[in-house]
Amino acid sequence: MLLFSYLLLSGITTGALYALVAIGLVVVNKSTGIINFAQGELFMFCGFVAWMVHVQFGQAYPFAFIAAIAGGFLLGVVTDRVAFRSLAKTDIVGLVLATVGLAFVLRGSARMIWGGKGDYLSFPPITSPEPVMIGTIMVVPQQMAALAGAVAIMLVFAAFFRFTRAGKIMRATADNSKAATLVGISIQNVYTLAFGTGAAIAGAAGVLAAPLTLLYPDMGFAFFIKGFAAAVLGGLTSLSGAIVGGLLVGVVEAMAGGYIHSSMMEVAPFLLIMLVLIVCPTGILSLYKARDV
Amino acid sequence: MSLFSRRNVLSSLFVLALLVPTFANAYHLFVANLILIYVLLAIGLNVLVGYAGQLAFANAAMFGIGAYATALLQVHLSWPFYFAFPAGALIAMAVGLLISLPALRLSGLYLALSTLAFAQFTQWVFLHWDNLTFGAGGFKSPPISFLPLPLSKPVGLYYLSLITASCVTLFTQNIMASRIGRAFVAVRDGDVAAQSLGIDLLRYKALAFGISGFTAGLAGGLYSQLFNFVSPEGFDLFQMVIQKAMIVVGGLGSIAGSVLGAGAIIVILELLREVKGAQEIVFGGVLIFFVTFLRGGLVGSLQKYVRGWDEPLHGARPLASKQVARVRLDEKESMS
Amino acid sequence: MKLSLIKMTAFCFAAALVGSQCAVAQQQPGLTPTTIRIGSFGALTGPGYLYGKLAMNGIDVVFDEVNAAGGINGRKLELVREDDRCDPAGAIGAVQKLIYQEQVFALIGGGCSNATFAARETIEKAEIPFLVVASVHDGITTPPARTIFSTALTSTIESKAQIQYAITSGAKKIAVVSMRDSWGRARYTPLMEELKSKGITLVADEEMSPDANDATAQVLRLKQADADAVIMVLFPKPAAVFARDSQKLGFKPLLIGQTGIGDPAAFEDQVGVPGATAKFRTISMVKYTPADPEMEKWRKLVEAKFPGDRLSVFNLFGIGSAQVLVEALKRAGPDLTREKLVSELANIHDLSVDVFGAPITCTATDHRCNKSPAWLAKDPTGPVKVLSVTRVD
Repeated sequence: MLLFSYLLLSGITTGALYALVAIGLVVVNKSTGIINFAQGELFMFCGFVAWMVHVQFGQAYPFAFIAAIAGGFLLGVVTDRVAFRSLAKTDIVGLVLATVGLAFVLRGSARMIWGGKGDYLSFPPITSPEPVMIGTIMVVPQQMAALAGAVAIMLVFAAFFRFTRAGKIMRATADNSKAATLVGISIQNVYTLAFGTGAAIAGAAGVLAAPLTLLYPDMGFAFFIKGFAAAVLGGLTSLSGAIVGGLLVGVVEAMAGGYIHSSMMEVAPFLLIMLVLIVCPTGILSLYKARDV
Repeated sequence: MSLFSRRNVLSSLFVLALLVPTFANAYHLFVANLILIYVLLAIGLNVLVGYAGQLAFANAAMFGIGAYATALLQVHLSWPFYFAFPAGALIAMAVGLLISLPALRLSGLYLALSTLAFAQFTQWVFLHWDNLTFGAGGFKSPPISFLPLPLSKPVGLYYLSLITASCVTLFTQNIMASRIGRAFVAVRDGDVAAQSLGIDLLRYKALAFGISGFTAGLAGGLYSQLFNFVSPEGFDLFQMVIQKAMIVVGGLGSIAGSVLGAGAIIVILELLREVKGAQEIVFGGVLIFFVTFLRGGLVGSLQKYVRGWDEPLHGARPLASKQVARVRLDEKESMS
Repeated sequence: MKLSLIKMTAFCFAAALVGSQCAVAQQQPGLTPTTIRIGSFGALTGPGYLYGKLAMNGIDVVFDEVNAAGGINGRKLELVREDDRCDPAGAIGAVQKLIYQEQVFALIGGGCSNATFAARETIEKAEIPFLVVASVHDGITTPPARTIFSTALTSTIESKAQIQYAITSGAKKIAVVSMRDSWGRARYTPLMEELKSKGITLVADEEMSPDANDATAQVLRLKQADADAVIMVLFPKPAAVFARDSQKLGFKPLLIGQTGIGDPAAFEDQVGVPGATAKFRTISMVKYTPADPEMEKWRKLVEAKFPGDRLSVFNLFGIGSAQVLVEALKRAGPDLTREKLVSELANIHDLSVDVFGAPITCTATDHRCNKSPAWLAKDPTGPVKVLSVTRVD
C-alpha cells in the first residue's frame, strides 16, 4: 500500500508539471484553434530569464517571477506581431511549422546566451529544499508549490474566459473567426493576446518547475509532448481537463515505472494516448462531442 | 510548351542529376544522394499531408522502420540487398496501413498527437528491443556491391537512388492527376462531404498512408546503405520537422514541389553549416519566413511569377475558414 | 524544344569535363607555410552541445595560447568547426565536408558516441589523423585504426573503474541505474560484461530517461532490493533527480558516478537537497573541476574569449586533448606531414598536460591514450577532493 501511495504522489507531482504546460496550450487553443509547438521552449526560455534575474543578478524571487511572466507575455506578443501576422490565413501544417520554427529560434537563442554557463542550471526553490513529512510520506515543498500553482492558474483563467469580456471575445474567435470579424472583433488582436497569455503562463510554469527540473536549453520538447498529450486527453479546450490530463499522464507514468519496469516509464503515456484516442477520438473530457465538418 | 514548364525543369534536373558523379567530390555526392532520399520522403509525405490532408507525424517512424527492416533482413537473415530493399519498403507500408485504421476516426490535432505518440513509441522500440534492433548502439549493415558493373558503392548507390526517386516521382504524379488524386483532395477538403459523394474513406485514407509508408520504406532502405550503419538517432522528431519543412517549402499538394522542397531544405541545411552555432536560430527563421511570406511554397511562387509553370495547385484550405462556406478569398485555383 | 534539351545536356557535359580538370590534388591538405588547419566535429546544436561546442571552446583557447607564443614551428593553428547534431548522418556529412571541402590537415573532436563511431570508416578511409576528445564508444578505438587516437576514457575503462571501486569499498549488493540512449548504452554494455566476468549479479537494474523528473519508482525498487552501492550511468539531470529522490525516500547507498557527472560541486548544486551527495563519488576524465584554483588560468582565458560562459569540465576535456595534439604537432617538426603526426601520436609516452589525471601514453597497438580515471568527491561543506587516480588496463 505504501508503494502505491508513494507512486501516486510522485505521479501527481510530475503530473502537475505537465499540467502547467498543458494549461498554456489549452489557453492558446481555446482562442485560436492552434497548438503552439513552441510552448515547451517558451517554458524553458522564461525559466532562464527568471534564472538570470534571480541567480545571476541577485534580485529577489518575486521580481524573478514577475520578470518571467512579463517577459513571456512580451515574447508572445512580439512573435505574434513579427512572425505570425498572417497565420489566420494559413493551413494547419503551416501553422504547426511556424510554431516549430519559433521553438528552434528560442532553443538556439537560449543555447547561445546561457548554454556556456554549465550543463544544467539549478534554480533555488520557493521554500526550503528540505523534504517535509506529510503523514508518512515525504514531499519536497516545491512540488506542492507547483501543483498549487497549476490549480491557481487554471482557476484564474477559467474565470477569465467565463466572466471577462476579453475572455468571451477569445472564445468567440475560436468558435468561428469569420463571424467574429463580422461583429467587429479584431482577429489580429485576439491572436496577439492569446499568444501573449499562453507565453505568460509558460513563464509562470517555468519558474514553478525550474527548481525541480533544472534548466537546460533542450528541456522544452519533452515537456511539450507530455503537455500536448495531457491537453488532448482532457479535450483540447477544457482547462480543468488540462489539469486532469496532466495528472493522469503523470500517474500512468509513475505506476508503469513502479509496477512494471522503469523502462516503461517513457513509453507508457504514449501507449495511453494511442489507446485513448482510438476509443475516444476527441479526448476523454472534451466539452464538445461534435466533429468539424 | 514554354521554357520553364514543369516538365522541362524536372527533366533538366534529372539530366543534371545523371551527371553529378562526374564532377562532384565525395562530400557533394553524399549530399546529392541525401537529396534523392529526401525526395522520396517528401513525395510520400506530400501525398499524405498535402493531398489527403492527414496531419500525420509518423513518416519519420516509417522511414526508420524501412531502414531497420532492410538492414536487419540483411544482417539477421542474410538476405541480399535486392530482396531486403523491397521487403523493407513493404514492411513500412504495412505499418502505414495499420496506422490508417485509427486514423479513420481521428482528424486534425488528434491525429497529429496520436501519430506523434506512435513515433515516440517506435523510437522506444528501436531502443529497447535489443535482441532484434541492437538497441541504442546501432549496428552496421553489409554494403552492396555493384559488380559486375564498374561502379563504386557510393556512385552505384547514387544511381540506384536516382532511378528509384525518378520512378516514384513519375508514378505519383500520374496517380495524383487521376481520380485517386482528386479523391484525396476531396477527403482533405471535407471528409463528410466526400463520403456523401460516394468516396470510400477507408480505402482512400489507407491508400494515402500506404503510399507514404512505402516511399518512406524505400527511402529508409537507401539511407541504411548510405552509411551502412543504422541507429535510432536519425528517425526522431527533428527528422519529422525537416520532412514537414520540405513539403511546406516546396508546396503542399504538389509532387514537383516535393522535389524542389527536398532539394531546397537539404541545401539550406548544408549551407547552415556556415553559421555554426546559430544554425537552430537561422533554421527556425527560415521556417517562419516560408510559412508567413511564401504561402503555397516555392511552387506557389513559381506559379505566380514564372510564365509557363503549369501546376495544378491543390493547396489546402486555411484553418480559420474551417466551418464556413467554400469561398476562398486567396489563391487562384486552376482546374487541371 | 527537343533541341534546347540537347543543348543543355551538351553544356552540362562540357562543364563537367572542364570542372574535373580543375581539381588539383594537394600534397598535404590543410598546410601552408604559415597555417595548419585542424578540423573539429561534434554537436554544436542539440543536447550533445556540451561535448561538442563547449569542448571545442576549450580547444580554441589552447590554440590561441599556442598562436600567441608564435605557433608551431612557425605555423599558426586554425580551428574549423562543424556540427554533427549528435546524429550519425550529420557526423558523416561533417567529416566529409571537413576532409574533402575544407581540406583540413587533421581532426580533433568527437562528442556523441554513435555519431563518431559512424564516422570512423570515413575517417579511416581518408587516412587523416584524428584525436578523440569526448566520445566513449569502444568501437571507435577497438580494434585500433591506424590514424585514430583518443584522450577520452573509453566506456570500458570507466565501467571497469566503477566496478573496481564498488568492490574495494566493500559493497555487497550492487545496483545499476542507467540511461538507455546511445551514450548510456555504450557504457552499460561493457559494465554488464565486466560484472559477468567478475561473477557479480546485480540486485537491481533500473532505467531513467535523460529528461526524467521523478525517480520514485526506481528508488523504491532499489531500496526494496537493499542495494548498498548504486552505479549511475546517467547525465547530471536524471542523476540529480535520482539523488534528490533517494534522500527524500531515506535511501542512502554509495553513489558511484562517471565522467558525465564529473563535477561534484556542480552536482551538489543541482541536487539541491543538503546532504544528498555525502556518499557520492565520481570518476572524471580530468583531474580538476572548474572551481580549482589551478584552473584559474583557463577560467580567465575561456571567460575572456567567450563572454558570458563559465568554465566547465567540458571545456577542460577540449583543453587536455588539444594540448596533446599540439605537443605531437611540435614533435613532428617543421617538415610536417600527416604520417609524421600519426607516428608522433603513436609514440607519446608519459606526456603530462594540464588537466588529465596521469601522464598520457599511447602505443602502437593501443590508441586509447588516457587510462587514468581520477576519483573525486566532495564533502557537503568542503571543497572537491581528489581521492585517487587509478589506472585501468
